[in-house]
Amino acid sequence: MKAIDKLIAPLDKALERFDPLWQAEHGTGGLRSRYYDKTGVAKWREWRGVKDTLYDYTAWIKNIICMVQMVAMAPLPILKGFWEYRWMGSYLGTFMFIDRLFEGYRGPELRIAHMNMHAIVQSLTKRIAFALKNDARLGGGPDTENIIPHDETITPLFLKGFKGLYPFPLQTLPEFIICDVDQHIEPYYVDVAESFGLPADVCSRCAAETGVAIDDAFPLFGKVMLSTNMPCNASEATSMFQRRRIGKPDFPITLAMQHNEKEALPYSRQTLLDAIAFVEEHYGVKYDWDEFFKYAKLMNEQNTIELEKWDFFKTPYSPLSGVSESLYRLYSWQSVNGQDPYFNKVDRKVIEIIRKAYEQKYLPFGGKTRHRAFLWGPSAVYYTDFPTWVQNCWGITIVLNMDSTMGFNMIDTEDPEKALDDLTRFTEKACMRHHAVGGWDNINALWTWAKEFNCDMILFNDNIACKGMLGTHALMEEQAREMGFHFIFVEHDLEDSRTVSRQDMRNCVNNYMSVVLGEKPLDPTIVEFDDAAAY
Amino acid sequence: MKDLKHLIYFENLLQDAQNELVDKAKAQGQKALGYNCYYIPEVLLNLPGCFSSRLRAPRCTSTDIAGYYMTGRTCPYARSILERAIEGGYNYLDCLFGAESCATMDRMEQHFFLINPVKNDKFFVTQIDPPMKGDQTNLEYYKVQLRVKVLEPLRDRLGVVISDAAIRKAVEQHNRLCRVITEIGNLRKLPNPPITGYEFHVIQLVSQVCPHDLILPYLEETLEELKTREPEAKFPFRARVVVVGSEIDDENFTKLIESCGAMVVADRYCFGSFPSREEIEIFNNESAFDAVCRHYLHWNQCARFMDGRKIDQRKEEVLRLHDEFKADGIIYENMKFCEFWSYEKVMESSIFINELHIPTCTIEKEYALGAVGQLRTRFQAFIESLEIKQIQGGK
Amino acid sequence: MNKFWKTLLKILGKTLLIGFITFVLTFALYMFNGENKLIYYVVRPFLNKHYDSQVRDRKV
Repeated sequence: MKAIDKLIAPLDKALERFDPLWQAEHGTGGLRSRYYDKTGVAKWREWRGVKDTLYDYTAWIKNIICMVQMVAMAPLPILKGFWEYRWMGSYLGTFMFIDRLFEGYRGPELRIAHMNMHAIVQSLTKRIAFALKNDARLGGGPDTENIIPHDETITPLFLKGFKGLYPFPLQTLPEFIICDVDQHIEPYYVDVAESFGLPADVCSRCAAETGVAIDDAFPLFGKVMLSTNMPCNASEATSMFQRRRIGKPDFPITLAMQHNEKEALPYSRQTLLDAIAFVEEHYGVKYDWDEFFKYAKLMNEQNTIELEKWDFFKTPYSPLSGVSESLYRLYSWQSVNGQDPYFNKVDRKVIEIIRKAYEQKYLPFGGKTRHRAFLWGPSAVYYTDFPTWVQNCWGITIVLNMDSTMGFNMIDTEDPEKALDDLTRFTEKACMRHHAVGGWDNINALWTWAKEFNCDMILFNDNIACKGMLGTHALMEEQAREMGFHFIFVEHDLEDSRTVSRQDMRNCVNNYMSVVLGEKPLDPTIVEFDDAAAY
Repeated sequence: MKDLKHLIYFENLLQDAQNELVDKAKAQGQKALGYNCYYIPEVLLNLPGCFSSRLRAPRCTSTDIAGYYMTGRTCPYARSILERAIEGGYNYLDCLFGAESCATMDRMEQHFFLINPVKNDKFFVTQIDPPMKGDQTNLEYYKVQLRVKVLEPLRDRLGVVISDAAIRKAVEQHNRLCRVITEIGNLRKLPNPPITGYEFHVIQLVSQVCPHDLILPYLEETLEELKTREPEAKFPFRARVVVVGSEIDDENFTKLIESCGAMVVADRYCFGSFPSREEIEIFNNESAFDAVCRHYLHWNQCARFMDGRKIDQRKEEVLRLHDEFKADGIIYENMKFCEFWSYEKVMESSIFINELHIPTCTIEKEYALGAVGQLRTRFQAFIESLEIKQIQGGK
Repeated sequence: MNKFWKTLLKILGKTLLIGFITFVLTFALYMFNGENKLIYYVVRPFLNKHYDSQVRDRKV
């Protein structure tokens, strides 16, 4: 490898002036220079040096192959899906999305990012093909009746005890994932919901889901619907809406909100058992604990590796951080949840790279990190690459995201009784749920996390419609001041970029960094720019 | 109609949370137990030696300080309660029994122990995790929550007797009050009732914010008065409506609707009598506490219940009130920023209008009666449409 | 060199050539962001036009 490095060194040197990071350092341009104004469309892709550009190119090819495979798996349903569902069109923005996420990434950061992202792409493309192939609206398929549609915040792991049935988070395709890819898709559904009288001040994620239901744009499959009270009020309310539109027998899995208290466990445990009985009754399939254990083992391995990753995150030498970490954790935990061994393979490879980087005392992002930040509160999904921007613009590394701290307890893989207790604790700590509701201690845990991960800064997501987080404003800020953390509220409207634009979000950070801390940006081209028309 | 003898007295009692009767009860040595939500059974807070005080923030027009803590983008009811607490309006309380019935309520109640706005050294707060379904699993959880977070703290921290006999006695007293209010409320079913919706709203509110033993004699006297009260010669309103929604503890809201020409014949909202004034029945094979839990879970009409049975029950209850009280239409209200009622309002109004063909109007309001002009216009238009419908013979 | 090796070399040469041309084309497409430009300026506007003209069964 070193010989190759020597060989390409002159080439790298000759072409370095095309590298936006070099340009930013030398005042000749930067990451934004290669874009058409407003659109988010790049004139050319980022030059990252010979090796990294080729690596990025290879990753691009691999993702294209996944997409081709997806179409090959179910050509007609895929075409029909594109024609039927507006949200399907947004998946075409995936390549632009990936480019955006990993701008400025080099070396091991880039490799890990692509490994993680490819895992998501290969999983998601299979899921899209599977869902559309079995979508009753498009004609149905062999597994239409074998799918258990469930709410996106229910962990599918516990449903893996039903051999021959396929848990499928219903909102994932039209809403939960696609909102990350295209900032313009969910406002359409929000408008649909609001045109029926839903006030504009409710959480836009839930408003969008409601819009999807009203617009009759959920894929149709399964015999029942498993809804849930997680994570919050608006989510509960929209579930009732969806229940009516979907029109199937439903079972709300209402887990204890105050899940840290000792009274919670027996209740939530019984609720899971009730849910299992409900599925058994409607599908005629007995729950098989041995089948469940197979997947629980995979989940345990994922969590074991995740905990090891966290130890590295606490040091300055982790090449995994920001969106690369949070998006993967979000998908691999909430959506995959031990169901796909490919993710275990990726985890094993990634942890090797991280270990090596630590041994070599590798400083990621060219050693330009100035602040280590904990990202707390549900993030704006229309600005998924926000962590990438804070890194590139101000040298703020997002060490960990609140949502990454979802259930990390191990699950017993031998005794159903013990497994059920573990599973309950695990399930209760789902996405946007664990820290956002259920008692003051949960949200206040921020300080412990931030200290443990050696952060000097908190970026506090301020979803302007999140009723749970809004009620904490002053006390969080006062505590941050007392403890000496840099604390920035980042206002956003979760899925509706029209209310608080990406630039408005950037301004929250820009103002603090320039006015309060008096720092200069690493790349002046990305301090202020218009990307309102970008996906 | 002739004025009710105690109406002005009742209205005055509603001007402050710490009203004359609250002071009187405190002077007698009774413990004042605050609560916000129907999920906390009022009857359990009226065990011997204590009284319930459902928190209101009358005449609260500014929530600047609460807005600092909770931003201005949260439920104005919750903010107003916090504001009033910070102003010292609840210093008479011995404790607050909260419920995490919604995120904002939860955060507001948390501030009661985080910033200690109630200046009372022994004051404490507990918060139950309220159930979201009406099934057996949730009933058991509800019992556990009420036992651990209400009954046991009452016993251990305030020395209240929580025996079955004590609860039975409280149920008996509670039922007596419920019978009076229900009997008064049922007068609204008459074609030309001897009571207005506003008057009933005032009566219902005082029954929730005053110590029961002290307000009951006044209520019983008012009932007797109403039995012989001469109604107007002709029904003075142009229409009859059921009001459905979230927190409405402002009697002037009902006055506003009635000033636009529609009598509020049924009140199905938080602070209303549906639910809250149903008598509690104790079956032979159950304890008084179990009966209370079963009763409250059954009658609870909160829009946060997620299971099909409870969702259907909500709709059926509104329909029942509409039919029994011979209403011409329904007004769905939601407090600004209330997510549950925002959704409920859209879904149920759609069902009532499009499937059951019952005229329904939806509005969103502040806690303190803001934007009165807009609301008035909306009500006037709705009432006019009801009138036109009557003229056209219901078509 | 016998005929077999010649054929083999020829095939190898052709494969390499095709591979090289494919690489050049795909790399050019990649580098100049061709697929995203196509999607952004052609495909999505077309699809959006279709979606906007859909009559959907909207109800609560």
